Amino acid sequence: MLQTVFTGLFGLAAIWFAVVVFRTSSMVRSALALLFSQAAIGAMFLAMQTEFLGVLQLTMMATEMAIMAIFMVMYMMDPGGLGGMDMTHQKRASQVSGALGGLAALAVAFFVGWGPIAAEVRPGEQVRGLGLEIMERSMLIFETAGVTILTAMIAATAIAIKRRGKE
Amino acid sequence: MTTLIVALAVGAILFGVGLYGALSQTNLVMIMMGVEVILGGALVNLVAFWRFLHPEAYSGQMFVLIVMTVMALDMAVGFGVATGRFRARGSIEMEEARDLKG
Amino acid sequence: MIVAALIILGPLAAAVLILALRRLAPALALLGAGVSLIAALFTLSRVANGAAYSATLPGLPGLPLRLVAEPLTAVFAALVAVVGFFVMVYAVGYMRGEGGLVRFFAGMSFFVAAMQALVLAGDWVLLLAAWELIGFSSYLLIGFWFERPGIAPAASRAFLYTRSADLGLYAAIFVLISQTGTSEISRTLQAGGAAAVAAGLFLLLAAMGKSAQTPLHGWLLDAMAGPTPVSALLHSATLVAAGAILLIRAFPLLPPAVLVVVGVVGGLTTLVTGLTALAQRDLKRLLAASTASQYGLMLLAIGAGVPVAALFHLLAHAAMKSSLFLGAGVFQHASGDSTELADLEGMGRARRLTFLGFVIAGLALAGVPPLSGFWSKDAVLAATFVSPNAWLLAPLALAGTLLTGLYVGRALRLLWRGEGESEPVAGERWMGAGLAVLVVLAATLGLAMPPVAGLLGAELSEETLLVAAVGLVAALIGLALGWALPTGRLLGPVYGLAGRGFRVGGGFDGLVARPALGFARALDVFDRGIHAGVLAVGGFGLALARVADTMSDGIHAGVLAVGSASLAVARASRVIDDRGIDGLIDALVRGTRDLGARARELQSGLVHRELLLAAAGVALVFALLIAGSVGS
Repeated sequence: MLQTVFTGLFGLAAIWFAVVVFRTSSMVRSALALLFSQAAIGAMFLAMQTEFLGVLQLTMMATEMAIMAIFMVMYMMDPGGLGGMDMTHQKRASQVSGALGGLAALAVAFFVGWGPIAAEVRPGEQVRGLGLEIMERSMLIFETAGVTILTAMIAATAIAIKRRGKE
Repeated sequence: MTTLIVALAVGAILFGVGLYGALSQTNLVMIMMGVEVILGGALVNLVAFWRFLHPEAYSGQMFVLIVMTVMALDMAVGFGVATGRFRARGSIEMEEARDLKG
Repeated sequence: MIVAALIILGPLAAAVLILALRRLAPALALLGAGVSLIAALFTLSRVANGAAYSATLPGLPGLPLRLVAEPLTAVFAALVAVVGFFVMVYAVGYMRGEGGLVRFFAGMSFFVAAMQALVLAGDWVLLLAAWELIGFSSYLLIGFWFERPGIAPAASRAFLYTRSADLGLYAAIFVLISQTGTSEISRTLQAGGAAAVAAGLFLLLAAMGKSAQTPLHGWLLDAMAGPTPVSALLHSATLVAAGAILLIRAFPLLPPAVLVVVGVVGGLTTLVTGLTALAQRDLKRLLAASTASQYGLMLLAIGAGVPVAALFHLLAHAAMKSSLFLGAGVFQHASGDSTELADLEGMGRARRLTFLGFVIAGLALAGVPPLSGFWSKDAVLAATFVSPNAWLLAPLALAGTLLTGLYVGRALRLLWRGEGESEPVAGERWMGAGLAVLVVLAATLGLAMPPVAGLLGAELSEETLLVAAVGLVAALIGLALGWALPTGRLLGPVYGLAGRGFRVGGGFDGLVARPALGFARALDVFDRGIHAGVLAVGGFGLALARVADTMSDGIHAGVLAVGSASLAVARASRVIDDRGIDGLIDALVRGTRDLGARARELQSGLVHRELLLAAAGVALVFALLIAGSVGS
């Protein structure tokens, strides 16, 4: 019961903050809203008894959003949002698509028979289970993910580096 | 069940909002933020599914892990691209990014 | 032989010289005739003594020309020479004061030469040539005064009559030569059988033409339009004699059947022409009819089977008739150049000497003894009486004798009765000389008959007193009636016919000339029809050509139309191609390009658009998955 409530609350928070992200014209505020949305999602994880993931989410998202804020300020035309410019386009199409997508997912959520709900989970088992999962079954995935991360880091760096000799 | 439905609903709405945002924003960073929101909704769904349908299979959590990683990676690369774009053009407004127009 | 040759060559040379020198025509003619006379008499005497001359001259291949002087031919030659000479003498006086003497005497001399060649001919080819030549000379001489009206047609008529009959001679010669392989007359006379009959009939046809036998006697009367010497020489003694001479010479060839025909023809002629003579109003025409009648008697004698009798009559007649003609000529000149009996009335009284000669000759002709005519006519009568066909021939001969007497009496009456006025006649002495000699001959020739018979080795028929008496009686009755009665009473109902010369069925004009002209006209129409037909064919051909041309034009137009149609089709197809297909393709291209342009719009390169599209694509996939899962 409680779980439902908290999940719901945190869910609403996430949704609200996500909306704010796009409604506000200030960049910093968008970044911060996103941060709070992601945090709410992490809280939801926690509410759903996935501690590890919840913590992970929180920590990661916090860092990410901070960096994002910096980037936003760097690159945006109107970081403060005081210019009053309309920074959206294809409004109608995006609205429609968003609505449709959301509705479709809702329909799926409501109308699909999900089957039996699982019972309790033992809290102390999660991390252990996840670690075993990583090390045994999904080792390849993890390794691949590691390599992919490396590649991405290199790629991002490569992209971001100033070109030499062509200043 | 209820919790599941709630979670899924939240995930759905997040998806919708994130889709709206990705499509309607002119700025690259904002688009990326929309994508983040979408992925967040996906995460919520994933966790809900793991928790309420197959809590014994930790591959669900693994999935979440990967998605989180992907989120991070895509932000990183995206920002690298934004940097490069900013350097090249002076702005990252997607309205002006017609270079690949066919 | 040279002397014999002179018989022909003399007059021939005279003719040539006259034509070359164009002077001294009478003298040269007389000279030529005289040479011929002397030569002929000489030859006759030699032949009488047993000589026989013959000459062969080159002629056609395998058919050489032959001249032969044997008793028969020598006698004929002598006859022609004598008559020819004395008529020539007469002609000198007759033609005095006339123009064209060169033509006349050249013609006369040429005629004499040709006639001598005919009588002396030993082969058919020479005889045929001479036959044609005497016909030609006759034409020239009859038409001597061709400027006068009616003369030229008369000459042409004479020529055509005799020429048509000459076909018989051609046919006979063809038959004989093809039968016997030679043209020598004496050898061909030995042919027999059907060839002999055919040849005999053809020879008869030729003789009928030349000797003016019925029905071919009309030309002789018309031939009297020529000068009187011509009539005397040609148309009494020589040319007309050629027919009889031919038959006499060919006598050994003739079979009895042909002889019957000969006799019938002769008898018929005697009768018809005798009646014609009675009805004539012109003296010369009367004498001409009489000539035909006498030659009929000769043919009767031949038909009776005694050619010697015919020969005698021929000799006697030659002298008698030529004298009569010469006398008529004198009368003609005396009356101002007319021979109409109406104009000559009483002329005898005016010119008694000439009339005397005329009378003697006339009585001789009638058959009054002791003149020559009596003996010759008696021979003829005797021959007919003893012939196998006496029942047919004898009455005819008697009738002939009667008629002879009739017309002689008539002529004498007409000349004596009435008051005649004689004009002075030029050349009287010449004419008189010629006339006198011939009259004497006419009177005395009877004495020469037995020697001639002996010369020819022929026998005269038995002379019975009955025959002689009958003949004499007939002659005297005829003379008396002719003297006493006018011609109308004599002839009675036959007068009209006789006057017209017994033209039956319109005569030759109606029977031959008109049908021939009608036939010619029909052929002309036929020819025109063919001509029109050919033109029609030609026109048809042209029409066909025109049709073909039109058709070809049509085809041409059609081909052009096809061509234009194809061009139009080509143009249409090009238009279709240009507008249609090209348009289609252009539309296609444009459509594709538009589509591409539209599709390109998708490729805006704008990130947000791409995102939108990606979202739409995901939704689509999603829907498909749903549908798939729902369906299954």
